[in-house]
Amino acid sequence: MSPYVLALLLFSLGLGTTMTFASSHWLLAWIGLEINTLAIIPLMAQNHHPRAVEATTKYFLIQATAAAVLLFAGTTNAWLTGQWEIQQDAHPLPVTIITLALALKLGLAPLHSWVPEVFQGLDLTTGLILATWQKLAPLALLLQIQPPNSYLLILLGLTSTLIGGWGGLNQTQLRKILAYSSTAQLGWMVLVLQFSPSLTTLAVSVYVATTAATFLTLKLAKATNINMLAISWTKAPALVALTPLVLLSLAGLPPMTGFMPKWLILQELSKQGLAPTATLAALTALLSLYYYLRITYTMTLTMFPNNLTGTPPWRLRTRKITLPLACLAIATISLLPLTPAAVALVAL
Amino acid sequence: MLYCGYLLMLGVVVGMVVVAANPSPFYAALGVVMVAAAGCGFIMCVGGTFLCLVLFLIYLGGMLVVFAYSAALCAEVHPTGLSEGSVLKCMMGYFGVVLGVGLLQGNPEAPLYWWFVGEEAEMNVVQGETEGVSEAYGSGGMCLVICAWVLLVALYVALEVSRGSSRGPVRPIK
Repeated sequence: MSPYVLALLLFSLGLGTTMTFASSHWLLAWIGLEINTLAIIPLMAQNHHPRAVEATTKYFLIQATAAAVLLFAGTTNAWLTGQWEIQQDAHPLPVTIITLALALKLGLAPLHSWVPEVFQGLDLTTGLILATWQKLAPLALLLQIQPPNSYLLILLGLTSTLIGGWGGLNQTQLRKILAYSSTAQLGWMVLVLQFSPSLTTLAVSVYVATTAATFLTLKLAKATNINMLAISWTKAPALVALTPLVLLSLAGLPPMTGFMPKWLILQELSKQGLAPTATLAALTALLSLYYYLRITYTMTLTMFPNNLTGTPPWRLRTRKITLPLACLAIATISLLPLTPAAVALVAL
Repeated sequence: MLYCGYLLMLGVVVGMVVVAANPSPFYAALGVVMVAAAGCGFIMCVGGTFLCLVLFLIYLGGMLVVFAYSAALCAEVHPTGLSEGSVLKCMMGYFGVVLGVGLLQGNPEAPLYWWFVGEEAEMNVVQGETEGVSEAYGSGGMCLVICAWVLLVALYVALEVSRGSSRGPVRPIK
């Protein structure tokens, strides 16, 4: 793609999210979301092959529907309450419609069907942008609305963790696994949204770091299914040695950073008297853990039958930019002791 | 005049049903023309003459014409007609949805009685919607710049997606 067009599209991606973050009016929030959708379309279709175009078309239709429903609900709210502010008192019906529209935008279950198919058609870099940056703006809006009762968000959260865990179990394609993993992680974020928005913010930050580290690792290993991961140890042994820790951090196991949001969310849910909800969420996280463990097992604990002396390639100095992966991997593995600082930073 | 407004609203609903049940883009464009024309008439009835003019010029005369030419270039030559059984069944279904929503929203005592709100057009020197357009250019400020930027980005997106004619992502383009 021409660098000028690429610069314009990336700038518009940043502009859209910034506009949604900075807006207090539903129209401006909608404009930001639409700018994001528009700007990522050519990035998704840049490979020009039919699978990528199919993924782009599906993504565009889903996001356009969700944005239209959001605009409809914002207008209905303006009609019923007389004001367009996001944070002011809202009528419960438009707020419910807005929650469902944002759930469709994010890919929360039961509105999650588009996520694996869209991720499968993209290359790993575009998938990274979709999984991290495109989730920020809808989450910023979800953080600001006041739902009339807690049932819808808890239902969305629990269904997402369940479907995200269950659906990823039968996958061998890594992009689909990461798609289901994204649904599951978003389920955790949405579960605690109305009890402690600061914990949602913390969960989003840890999720962005962990998912980005995973995507970048897969990109460096040039692996798109589990079989390809099995021989990736020859390309970068040190990275492959660290990848189990990154994946287990994504699964939420201590002592990695990924445990921090899950721990604090379970604590907050118990404090709110929702112990069965917390138990269900923890149990459904076990499903996700299984497929992360399967990837880890294939990557590091197995050795494919190979001519061992002929397998390692020449390890020349790479021209790829590896600093982001290095920083994110360290952040993903070792920041759990900073939990008190993180809790203070998100002003719990 | 009230009755004229009711008839135009009926035209809007019928046009929307035709758009939703279209067997081919040509019929969808026909439905859109019907919706826009009837809607225009209704807006004129309640006093928004400038908005009506802009709708006809820009929406019908600009965007719809471009869509119609693009559809003519790549849609199929012998499409299914509007009097096909499947299309008629779809249209009956959509009319049923409209009827259902109308019954649900209305007054229980007089189920299908809807009434207009604010139908008396005030006659000021400058009508409301014309003033609104000048407000967008005046105190609209940064939002106007953002909207112009979005239009430019949309142009580049369309150009980028259709780059390469039939070697690119959109195969029907010769």
